[in-house]
Amino acid sequence: MYRRINEIYVNSLKDMKRILPLFFVAILISTIIDFFVSAELVYSVLGANLLVAIPLATIIGMVLPIPRYATYPIAFTLYLKGAPLSVVFTLISGEVILGAPDRDVMEFKFFGARSYILRFVLCTVFVILGGYLMEFIL
Amino acid sequence: MIFEILAASLDNFLKFFLIIIVAIVVAQIINSFLNQYTIETRLKNENNVVKSALLGLVTPGPLGLYLPSLKVLKEKGLSLSMIATFITSQTLVGPLRSFIEVEYFGAVFFTYRVVFSFFSAVAIGIVYKRLERHLEPKDTSNNQSKAKR
Repeated sequence: MYRRINEIYVNSLKDMKRILPLFFVAILISTIIDFFVSAELVYSVLGANLLVAIPLATIIGMVLPIPRYATYPIAFTLYLKGAPLSVVFTLISGEVILGAPDRDVMEFKFFGARSYILRFVLCTVFVILGGYLMEFIL
Repeated sequence: MIFEILAASLDNFLKFFLIIIVAIVVAQIINSFLNQYTIETRLKNENNVVKSALLGLVTPGPLGLYLPSLKVLKEKGLSLSMIATFITSQTLVGPLRSFIEVEYFGAVFFTYRVVFSFFSAVAIGIVYKRLERHLEPKDTSNNQSKAKR
């Protein structure tokens, strides 16, 4: 029991050391967006035409070079600036389709190109569909 | 301007500081109970996409940790559909992010994402089951046919 508590304590501290600075950087980026990007621009790109905005947000999510948890402050700022929740959904979900390069290389190498490509395509399709469905449901 | 940006960022960061600390500790507690060995054992003989998707949903930590084990399990006979289902649900939702997500976008948004990710993972697993024999990497299938001979 003591060993387990100690393990949780040590690993939590390691995670905090890794996550907190990156989370601060993500918040800094979101504040910069808040200061310099107008609500009109966000709405015109990510809010006006959802047929384009949802796939676009998925692609933006995929290419964002930040860890998963750091997407939230940026997505929240975009939401406050006029991006709908469905776009936020696809941005956050799209962010995890393509992982870190080392993870993708491992998946590609271990399970084959066809499996990797099929999963990538299916995930992208489902995330986009999920975005449209959210627009109807919520 | 720079000072304003830094002050606003710090203010925002402090608002979420406590929730991130709680999220990290809870993720580590889950991790200590549901570690790599437990996941491997549960996944080893699995042939149900629903169970595999559920297992992926509750599995904490980066996927990279589990990929080598999944490769070994695949060599021992775990199907590609189970692996694809697990990977999909594991990456789409995670215990650490759940706290941050609820804090930012609310419980309804989070619930929708969890439910949708679960069904997506199951659907992907079903597609993989149908296409399984076409998806095996070439070198593996060659080795298997050589072994059969």
